[in-house]
Amino acid sequence: MSEETLLSIQNLKTHFTVGNSVVKAVDGVSFDLKAGKTFAIVGESGSGKSITALSIMSLLPNNLTSTDRGKILFNNQDLISLEEKEMRKIRGNSISMIFQEPMTSLNPVYDLSFQISEVIMLHQNKNKKDARKIAIEMLDLVGIPEPQKRIDSFPHELSGGMRQRAMIAMALSCNPKILIADEPTTALDVTIQAQIIELMQELQKKLRMSIIFITHDLGVVSEISDHVMVMYLGNVMEIAGTKELFSNPLHSYTKSLIDIAPQITEEKRKIRVLKGEIPSPINPPSGCVFRTRCPNPTHDCEHGKSHMGLIEPIPGHFVDQCCYECNKND
Amino acid sequence: MIKVKNLKKYFPITGGFFNNKLGNVKAVENVTFEIPEGEILGLVGESGSGKTTLGRSIIRLIEPSEGEIFYNNKNIINFSDAEMRKLRKDFQIIFQDPYASLDPRKKVFNIIAQGLKIHTNMNKQEIYDKVNSTLKDVGLQEEHLNRYPHEFSGGQRQRIGIARALVLDPKFIIADEPVSALDVTIQAQILNLILELKEKYSLTILFISHDLSVINQIADRVMVMYLGHLVEVASTKNLFSKPRHPYTKSLIETAPQIFRENKNKVLLKGDIPSPINPPSGCVFRTRCPNPTHDCQEGNIKMGLIEVSPNHWVDQCCVNCS
Repeated sequence: MSEETLLSIQNLKTHFTVGNSVVKAVDGVSFDLKAGKTFAIVGESGSGKSITALSIMSLLPNNLTSTDRGKILFNNQDLISLEEKEMRKIRGNSISMIFQEPMTSLNPVYDLSFQISEVIMLHQNKNKKDARKIAIEMLDLVGIPEPQKRIDSFPHELSGGMRQRAMIAMALSCNPKILIADEPTTALDVTIQAQIIELMQELQKKLRMSIIFITHDLGVVSEISDHVMVMYLGNVMEIAGTKELFSNPLHSYTKSLIDIAPQITEEKRKIRVLKGEIPSPINPPSGCVFRTRCPNPTHDCEHGKSHMGLIEPIPGHFVDQCCYECNKND
Repeated sequence: MIKVKNLKKYFPITGGFFNNKLGNVKAVENVTFEIPEGEILGLVGESGSGKTTLGRSIIRLIEPSEGEIFYNNKNIINFSDAEMRKLRKDFQIIFQDPYASLDPRKKVFNIIAQGLKIHTNMNKQEIYDKVNSTLKDVGLQEEHLNRYPHEFSGGQRQRIGIARALVLDPKFIIADEPVSALDVTIQAQILNLILELKEKYSLTILFISHDLSVINQIADRVMVMYLGHLVEVASTKNLFSKPRHPYTKSLIETAPQIFRENKNKVLLKGDIPSPINPPSGCVFRTRCPNPTHDCQEGNIKMGLIEVSPNHWVDQCCVNCS
């Protein structure tokens, strides 16, 4: 397998002005997405997962602070410096996205035929008839039964799982190189979630695309991804291969997440707990942002004197230096 | 403590010019079970399986269509409203969505004190002390009493919801997906809190969830529900180590887990059918991985049988697998 880098994010910073304060939703995120691989982003709500994805798609609100925003390199282009007109050619075409809520992300007043053909006509110069034909093929591809009939359905006529399949059909209709999936299975029942995950894996092989998979569920991560990035309060805590991360987590936050994740296979036991809640991104802790919840902070990082930044103690396994130092002393 | 016998709940569908009855949504079908005192009984199933309707029917927040409910050996199905109201303080609910289940215009004190004002003769000071001590039990402080719900995070709001349920010293609590709207780290905190408080207040709990791994952590016994029917009832240990019903098996196998590589998991095909027009015979047959000829035709009756001590499985699927 080639380890070609398709998308490279370098020191991405997405800050918003809200009132008089600055919300550092994403604060210095860097990672590479390899061709044909699945890269998972995990973290609690408010950790900046979705904003990272929206930054790549350039779908952000306009109260951004215009400081140095870092780079998003795709096809030798920096997506951040692209004009909206240029970006529109990429969005939905070579990079597309599916969302968590299949109920709210489809337009309720248009049928599937209109919504899927729209993308195809816009990006591939097809006429209405051909676009509809492709749309039917796409519905067939994502496993919707009787696509010729279903193409004229409205979103409310479909179940949650079917809606998510329709969303995927729409996102894949222009053969994207990258699919960004923002919690695509969170709103679904487990049996349907399993169907959708299997579908995405199948389609990835068939269409040879890369996937950025955002989720809060480590179980889903272990099923679908090749690499994982753990985020906390807009910062990257750890990046590693999926197996490596679960067998050898280096960051205390990752360790807690793995510890806490409820298990089916294990006997009942005392539920382990990570104290406190994720702090507000308006006023994050100084120094290491994780220090307020860290189970074993050193003197330095408790006082907010440590600096954050990824180091690579094991090839391909990156971890925030503050926690690496803390844990090394144990 | 609670015995439920052949409970049914049908919601009528009406429509047309004269608002004729067109059919029924069969939300709960012939459900029979018991909850002994001090037990946490888990209830799992997909959306639309009737978990919430069953939970609410037990305490007659939704009036059941048929069946009997015994609370401390008294059949409460025929209780009058006045009699029921007296019982209400023994039954409490913790809701799923901590954002929607707290009145945004009331302060925390008033939210929690409401039940005491209605059900007890306490004076102001007694009410304040009781609210305050309950609030401390759920891990919040006195200073929080004068705040509004929007000032709290999701986890804290769920704690307020729990305090509201506990303030009347209830006997029986229905926890309806209390952690599914919360992040994993917060979820673990709340589950621990529920376990602690269960001991402290000697509660009996019906814990409704769609998440089997949460059920595994908290419940003593589990009921699996599908399309209004109970399809398997067993102790937590037995259910997870020796599941008998193909639906339970599939739920356990498809739940994504960190340290498990399951290559040969059995995916259920299709969606849960509509409860307006459920499959005849065994309701699971449209998604069953190995249906026999008989059940495919819909000729099989449903009903739990005891396959090993205290392990009940729907008879149709016992014969199939």
